Amino acid sequence: MMRGEGTLSRALIWTITCLGLAVIYAPPLYLLGVSFNPALQPALPHVADVTLKWYLALAGEKQLIAALEQSLLIAAATAFAATLLSLMAALAYVELHARRAAWFLTVLLPMFVPGVIQGLALSAVFQRAGVKAGLLTVIGGHLLWALPFAFIVILTSFGVVRRSYLMAAADLGANRWQQFRDVTLPLIRPGLVSAFIFSFLLSLNEFTRAFYLAGRQNTLPVVLFGKMNSGASPTIYAMSGAIFLLSVFCVGLVLANVLLKRRQPA
Amino acid sequence: MAIAIGIEAVTREFGPVRAVDDVTLSIGAGEFFTLLGSSGCGKSTLLKLIGGFDQPTAGRITFDGRDMAGIPANRRPVNTVFQGLGLFPHMSVAKNVGYGLSLRGLSGKALAVKVEDALDLVELSGFGPRDVNLLSGGQRQRVALARALVMEPGILLLDEPLTGLDERLRQQMRDEFARLHKRTGATFILVTHNQDEALSLSDRMAVMHQGRLQQIDRPALFFDQPANAFVARFVGIDIQLKHQGVTGHGDAAYALICGQKVPVRIGGPAAPSQTVVALRPDRLFLQSQDEIPLQEHAGRMMLTMVESRFRGLHHDVTLAFADGQTVVVTQAADRPVPEPGQTVAVTIAAGGAMLIPTADP
Repeated sequence: MMRGEGTLSRALIWTITCLGLAVIYAPPLYLLGVSFNPALQPALPHVADVTLKWYLALAGEKQLIAALEQSLLIAAATAFAATLLSLMAALAYVELHARRAAWFLTVLLPMFVPGVIQGLALSAVFQRAGVKAGLLTVIGGHLLWALPFAFIVILTSFGVVRRSYLMAAADLGANRWQQFRDVTLPLIRPGLVSAFIFSFLLSLNEFTRAFYLAGRQNTLPVVLFGKMNSGASPTIYAMSGAIFLLSVFCVGLVLANVLLKRRQPA
Repeated sequence: MAIAIGIEAVTREFGPVRAVDDVTLSIGAGEFFTLLGSSGCGKSTLLKLIGGFDQPTAGRITFDGRDMAGIPANRRPVNTVFQGLGLFPHMSVAKNVGYGLSLRGLSGKALAVKVEDALDLVELSGFGPRDVNLLSGGQRQRVALARALVMEPGILLLDEPLTGLDERLRQQMRDEFARLHKRTGATFILVTHNQDEALSLSDRMAVMHQGRLQQIDRPALFFDQPANAFVARFVGIDIQLKHQGVTGHGDAAYALICGQKVPVRIGGPAAPSQTVVALRPDRLFLQSQDEIPLQEHAGRMMLTMVESRFRGLHHDVTLAFADGQTVVVTQAADRPVPEPGQTVAVTIAAGGAMLIPTADP
């Protein structure tokens, strides 16, 4: 009886798990399938028809390539700036004592402003100030978007930096900068890496703010959206497929790295 | 070289609280000095002020006569073994121990030799490449010691370094401190709430309470002449009796406790109304019934038996005066214990009863 129940609940858990995974992965996998279809209409291809022609055609899609380059540039700049700024914000948080909560909320606030409003507001302000829309305006908008997330990630990593480590370093002759360089920085490095990746992805994904703030050169999400509406060639599926495959590859690489490291000490 | 420390009228306020309240103290070069007190008495705050991790609200701290005001922790000739140790978790044992010297510009072979010497000193030879997170409590303790001692500090501060270790390790590390104090010749300041540590290690010690130093003396004098009731209780003189007055003076002084005359030694000039009679437990003896006549006699108290508690090697025998004040006398486990309600005689050996102030003057 007990065993029967055990099998049943196990089957149930597996069913739910598979269903959940399917809901998450079916759409991008479907898109991936579509990208190998030679036909112009989006549908899964027959095994015999599988083709790479849209991927090859990607090289000729100047507009998509330019948008991708722009997006990568913006994401890299945003990730770099967001990581640096939120590191400084987190350091300030650690030093502040009584007014910590106020500082925390101040840095977090942009997260709660809807993108539509923030994009509109920024674009109005930039226009008023005579700043031309372009690369920098999008980076500015994305920085506001990514900063609170990066701040939280880095702040979490500060949990391992105990006060006694810094006192011990001071005791051994380290000044403030040396304490930071030799103790704080190595301990929070995982947080910095996570914050960088997180900000990079947030920027790469972002549509609304970029839509308002981009100048002549749109970012990839904006271009893809535009092409989707104008019923363009299936190269956009190839572009999506390529990004998806690259992401899977990166995650696989990290996973392999972790597994290797775990095996080494044993 | 060992450094002498002068603490002159130092006060540290945190808002309305005086964590350290007008403390004046001088510690000799090469001395092993202990600050003893319960948690929250201000002893760690005083240590932080010496180490330069905090600034006094008022008063001066001098090292060999030089004022230390405005000199931060990283530029003081002081090293500390912190309560939580503060070992750097991302560095190996050798990196931890060598960190301070590498900041001084030492590197390569010279650094490695110094680090290995320091590890030898704390009997951790060959532990250099190990991960500090995988060491036992005692080993981590020794790494923290080596990390401080490798700097050859003039002053070593030990902030409750034995808290959290089991009893056997405590004993072991205590012996280690004594040995290292002799080896290095530095001024050692230990902060602890454990009187055993204080008594066995210190040249001199101070008992601290509510930010004030209650008494500064050699350990033995805390038992011969406790400054007040608090100090006496802190070092284990728990029997403190209210009295109705004092007659005579000098060697022939008597306190009247519940109608009985008890010979006391008068410690200070305090008014009798603000004193109590403290009894040293090691100088009280229960007299067996058959050898003495049951009558009052100087140096002897007649008490009523209340209860007895078995303690392994001895009994704690609780006896009471007619007014309810109690006295606990130890009786060897193989000696007979009186029945409850019985009247028994307790003799007080010379110096066993002291008249001391109730609180600090």
